Amino acid sequence: MLLPYLLLGAILFVLGLIGFVTRRNLIIMFLCTEMMFQGIILNLVAFGRYPLKGAPTFDGQVFALFLIAVAAAEAALALALVVLLYRYQGTLDANAYRMLKDE
Amino acid sequence: MPTLLIAILTLGAVGLFLALPGGRADTRRVGWVVLAAAGAVLLALLLQLVPGADPRGLFAGFALVAVFAALRVITHRKPVYSALYFILLIFAVTGLLVLLEATFLSMALVIIYAGAILVTYVFVIMLAQQSRPAPYDVKSREPVWGCLAGFLLLILLARQIELFLVPAQRTPLPAPVAEAAGTIEAVGVPLLTEYVVAIQIIGLLLLAALVGAIAIARRRATPRVESEGDE
Repeated sequence: MLLPYLLLGAILFVLGLIGFVTRRNLIIMFLCTEMMFQGIILNLVAFGRYPLKGAPTFDGQVFALFLIAVAAAEAALALALVVLLYRYQGTLDANAYRMLKDE
Repeated sequence: MPTLLIAILTLGAVGLFLALPGGRADTRRVGWVVLAAAGAVLLALLLQLVPGADPRGLFAGFALVAVFAALRVITHRKPVYSALYFILLIFAVTGLLVLLEATFLSMALVIIYAGAILVTYVFVIMLAQQSRPAPYDVKSREPVWGCLAGFLLLILLARQIELFLVPAQRTPLPAPVAEAAGTIEAVGVPLLTEYVVAIQIIGLLLLAALVGAIAIARRRATPRVESEGDE
């Protein structure tokens, strides 16, 4: 029962990764990081419910709660930055913000 | 079975590459057909691994919805729809958490993610709304390399999961937890006793993020375009 959950978590994580790499809209990129968090949450809770040895514990769910808190902090900061960048250039294209890159 | 899994994942990679924004409409449709085929076989494979009869169909349904919603999030051209499909993904993950007997966590996920985080996202998307699909939404960046890297990682992960778990699967499954599984009490007691330092640090982190977000949002950027989102 553990294996399908882990596989599904891995699929969600990797889909988020692909979205982060291939999409160019800053908001969608951050949405993809949230998708990666979903995969990890599923993974943690599945390991807590079906541990490899011993009785089921609730540690996975506690870690998942911490992860949700970190995701909320990340969303707040990232969206504040996105709004600031949008005011700066009027676009959400990640390629438009390459002025830090060494030409 | 590993070769079958690798074949399915490769099929999925090709389908995703075709379905990503950038190609023509009929190419994307072909991509969706390929993805549907890969998803059906993968679902059958997963079902074969799940013992028992009862949670099997539910797991399959939620997994299907989750993967479909995730694919739509990364392939849809309109950011608002991406956000709405993400809410669908949250609900699917919530169902899976209920199947894993994490009731409190599942409700917390709905309230925090769908209720708070996604509302913020939709807000920001509305603030930066374009009337037509923006050029940066229509064309994706390096889809070949992105899909290749992602699916290589996925194959690696699947292989590791299999190597570790297939011997462990032979051991009998742990008994279902008592009916108080995953309630506020069951999660809250370890949260406030065993992990009390961690929860303090999380509080500090949230405070720092709050202060940081306010400090960033108050800042006057030197606008190249006169901002209309100045509420």
